[in-house]
Order: sequence, then C-alpha cells, then structure tokens
Amino acid sequence: MMAQTRTGGSGAARIATVARKELVDMTRDRRSTLLTLMPAIAGPLFLVLILQLVSSQSDRSRELTLPVAGQDNAPALVAFLARQQVNVTPAPADYDARVRAGDLDIVLAIDPHFAADVASGRPGTVRLVYDRSRDRARAAIDRTEALLRAFNREWGRARLLLRGVSPDVANPLSVDAQDVATPQSSGSVVLFLVAYYALFAALLGGMAMALDATAGERERASLEPLLATPVRPVELALGKWLAVIAFDGIVVALTLTVFYLTLRFAPLPAIGIPFLFGIHELLRFVVVLLPLIALVGAALLYVGARGRTQKEAQANVSLILTVVAIVPLLPMFLQRKDPAWLALVPVSGQYSLLSRALRGEALPAIDLAMSWGVCLALAVLALLLFARLLSRESVLAGE
Amino acid sequence: MIAVDDIAKAFGKRREIAAVAGVSFTAADGEITGLLGPNGAGKTTLLRVLATLLRPDAGTATIDGRDVVRDRHEVRRNIGVLSDARGLYPRLTGRENIRYYGTLHGASGAALDARIDELVHALAIEDIADRRAQGYSQGERMKVAIARALVHDPHTLLLDEPTNGLDIMSTRALRTLLHGLRDQGRCLVFSSHVMQEVTALCDRIVILGHGRVVAAGTAAELVAHSGAATLEDAFVALLGSGEGLAA
Repeated sequence: MMAQTRTGGSGAARIATVARKELVDMTRDRRSTLLTLMPAIAGPLFLVLILQLVSSQSDRSRELTLPVAGQDNAPALVAFLARQQVNVTPAPADYDARVRAGDLDIVLAIDPHFAADVASGRPGTVRLVYDRSRDRARAAIDRTEALLRAFNREWGRARLLLRGVSPDVANPLSVDAQDVATPQSSGSVVLFLVAYYALFAALLGGMAMALDATAGERERASLEPLLATPVRPVELALGKWLAVIAFDGIVVALTLTVFYLTLRFAPLPAIGIPFLFGIHELLRFVVVLLPLIALVGAALLYVGARGRTQKEAQANVSLILTVVAIVPLLPMFLQRKDPAWLALVPVSGQYSLLSRALRGEALPAIDLAMSWGVCLALAVLALLLFARLLSRESVLAGE
Repeated sequence: MIAVDDIAKAFGKRREIAAVAGVSFTAADGEITGLLGPNGAGKTTLLRVLATLLRPDAGTATIDGRDVVRDRHEVRRNIGVLSDARGLYPRLTGRENIRYYGTLHGASGAALDARIDELVHALAIEDIADRRAQGYSQGERMKVAIARALVHDPHTLLLDEPTNGLDIMSTRALRTLLHGLRDQGRCLVFSSHVMQEVTALCDRIVILGHGRVVAAGTAAELVAHSGAATLEDAFVALLGSGEGLAA
C-alpha cells in the first residue's frame, strides 16, 4: 500500500521525540555524564573542607596559647594575660628562629629591664615576634596586640586615678561600635560559596549536551538528513532545548540536594552558622535558578549551533563563560552597594538573589518577577535565533 | 513524479560559483532516473534542492505536484533522502537510528517495529542492527542510512551516491531492493559518477556537466544520439572529455 499523502505526527509528538532521543544520546555518553555530575557531588565536600579550615582558625583565636620569654620580669602583665584566659607558656630559647620557621605563631618577649624601667618612670618594653604574612598566625597576632593595648589602658587609667585625674581626660573620644550583622549574615560569608556553586551547576550542567546536540550534530553530518524529515527547525530547537534544560535541571537539583544533605547531616564544626541550608532555602534557590536554566539552555544551543565543529563551539562557549564568571564579581570592583540595573543582568541578578536568600532576607515578588521576565525573554530570543539558524542553508556547510 | 524546470543555484558571497545553472528534467513514477556526471557537475546540489534543503535561486521543482520550496513540509513527508551527509548517531544502535526517523515521520508501536524488521532483513543487517553505530564500517553505516531513508515507506526516493563504500554483494542486494521499489511504482532518483552503476540500475539517465544537462534518455537513446559505438564513448563524446568519469 502506498500512502500518497501522510498526516505525519503532530508537532508536539516530534518535539517529544527529539527531546527523548537527545536525553538517551546524552546518558549513553557515560564519560560526559559522569564529568558533568561529578562536581555536583564534589562541591559539598569542598565546602565541608573550607568550613573545617574556618573553624580551626576561629578556635585558634579563642584559645590563645602565648609563649612568653622573661615571665619573671613583668609578673603583673603575665597575671593580666592569665586572667584573660590566655594560656601562657615559657618560650624556647631559640624563639626567633622558631617563629621564622613557622613552628610558633607569636612570641612575647619581656625586656630584662622592664621592672627597673617602670620603677624609674620610663615605659617598660616588650617585644612581639611574629610573621604577619602567615594567615594562620593573624588571629593570634591581633588578639595579643589587643590584649597588650588593653593592659596598657588599664594600667594608665590606674595611674591617672592615683594622681587624681579622671581617665576621661585622656580619652575624649568614645567609640561605641554596633555590628548589625544578623546571625545568618555573619555565618553565611562562607555559604556564598553555595550560591556561586549552584550558579555554576546551572551554567555547566547542560553544556556538554548542548554542544553535542548542535555543533556535534553538524560535525557528524547527521543534521542534513534530519532537516529533510518532517521535523521543523522550530520543533527541533524546542526538542533539543527541553532535553538540555531537563538535564541541566537534574544537575542543579542534585547539586542542591547534596548540599542540603551535607549541611544537614555531615558532622560540621560549630562556627556560628546558625541557619545553614534548609528546605526553605533550597526551594528559594530553585525558584531563582529555574529561569536561568531556561536561558542558559537556549543560549548554549544557539552558540553551539554556530560552531561547525565541537571544538569551535567549545572555544566560543568558554569565552562566554569567562565573561559570565566575572560579572558577579563586578560589585566588588565598584566598592559600593550594587547598582539597581545589576539585578536585571542574568547570572549577576541570580547571584544577588541567592545571596539574599542565604542571608535570610525576603525575596520581593517584584524582583523575582523581573529576574524571571528578563531571563525568559532572552531565552525565547535565543531559541528563535537557534531555530532560524537551523533553517538557514549555511548550517549545512558542516564539513 | 518529479518535474525540474530550469533550476539554478549558486554559492559564494557574491553567488559567483554556479553549482547548477538552469537544469530541467523529469523523473517518472515506476522508473529509476540516474543523474550521472563527474565530480562538481552539480548532482549533490540538485538533490539537495529536491530534498528541500536548499532553495533554488531560479526555476521551480515539484514532487508529485508539490513545490519543493512552497510546500516543503508536505514534500518532506513523502520523500526518502539519502543525502551526501549521512551521519548516524554513534551512541545509538542501528535500530534506534532508524526508529528515530520513523518516529519523526509519525510512525510508532508495532507497525514501526515491523517496518524496521523488514528493512533490517532486506538490507541484511540483522547482525549489526542492535550494535551501537560507532563501530560500524563504512558499508554498514551506508546500509543503516538507507534503511533510515526508507523507514516511512516514501513514494519518492532521492539517493546521493548510495553505493559508495558498499562491497559487491551489498551493491547487488541494494540493486534488488531498488528494483523492487521501482516495480511498486515508486519514483527513484539516483546519482553517481560511476557509469557502470548507472547503466546497471537506471531506466533513464540524465547526464550533467558543469551544472547543466548535457543529454538525457535511455542508454540506447544516448548511444544513438551521440553517434558513438558504446555508452562509454557516448559519455566522453557528450561531456567533451572523459574528465572525472571513473572507469
């Protein structure tokens, strides 16, 4: 029997066929799939390591062990330090060399003439030996310096009082610092890593697939026969897009879930991160990232289709990713509050929304709507450009 | 039935490379029409125009009365194309590659499975059909690509050099398959630069040279027309030289 005219399938059925085929094709590529999923699992482990590092540093600052040379020269100072919970130990004889080598963070050396100098009305001398270029030592240095200043102030006040002068005469300025950081915002400095990581999961999750489905298809010379079938360019574009955003969505969901599980169940050090990353934050992340996933998928497909080979497309995409990676850092260079327009720029806007979610701030519906609107409008534009490219004769020039 | 009327197509920034320059011919149902010509004669460009992949700069072409530009979506449903580019998806099996096109043509379920089995048997690719395409030889790739072009049982078949890379047994099997399709009343267009291929397979021959039709007719008509003794001499006489004609 010969069918002279066929109705063919519906456009929706063809879109579904293309999407299904692309997903099967991607998952068959074990290597690319694993390489894409690996960072989702490695990220949280990386975060735990960083948290451990931060906690060990804050432990250091709380429990200060201070080797002191010549303790007998200034018993009052040593007693003061002990009252401030400092663990005073005798310093080894070669403390200069030990500090230089990094074995000791800081050493306090009290001058042998300390008592004599003080008795004759001259300032007593102490020497601090440290290496400020060592990050590890910085907390101990700051703490010791602050303690010495405090001792100096206390002693001075006592002397002024003895002479019948109010200590206020010597302290005309009273500084009353007020830290408005919420418990969440102070602890979440580290957790901005989570925002950055989630953003990159969205950017990279669909990349291998998008390039394979476009430049790869051109390079393999499988696009030309495909375009001679009833599938229309716009259906092809939509099918590939659905597949890419589905896969990208899975990568993002996996990344966020692993973050959630790690932060919830892993033995994390107590370093004043009271909130961590709960279900509520996870859902807000999803709401913020969804439009970006839609846009990234469409943009990668368009850029990928412009490449005659995967190699060419990869070069184009890495250039774009570099620019995209720098955009969230822009406010840092501006050194002021983020300008309003930055919230509308994709990626940077999402970064700012994710940061706010982590700080425990409200996400105003209007900001979310604007971010969704901009991303979806750009996604539609990229899809139209992609579909138009597929209907151009030049796309056949593959070899 | 294919009717090509004065088709022209040029490439390049200023359209300075004329690939096809005013070609007219018809290909009837129940016949295999061979496009024969040396490399660069415009065979692939012409087939791409008929496959709705390229828009002609001038002229018209219709397949069963449907214009290949205006009614291209209709045309695509009713043609099977083995184009110059015949890439398969290396991570899909042969069967999956064929099924993808069948599904895009609106087929599904048991009917599609049966059709794929039929083609797999006809092209004798049972042993490789369930293997991934990345390990295929050139001939195996070609056979799967041919099955893919036939999966929706098209009335019109456009085949660009389908015997490239096939061994003698496969070529004979393909010939039998194509003759069977012709006898069912289908319209087949077949391009080749190998004269023996064309004479063994085709009912009518269109000789192309430098983007134009040099001569057209049955093998006997071409010999008579050129006044040569054999078909080979006829080609050389018609093309002005033996340039590009593989022996």
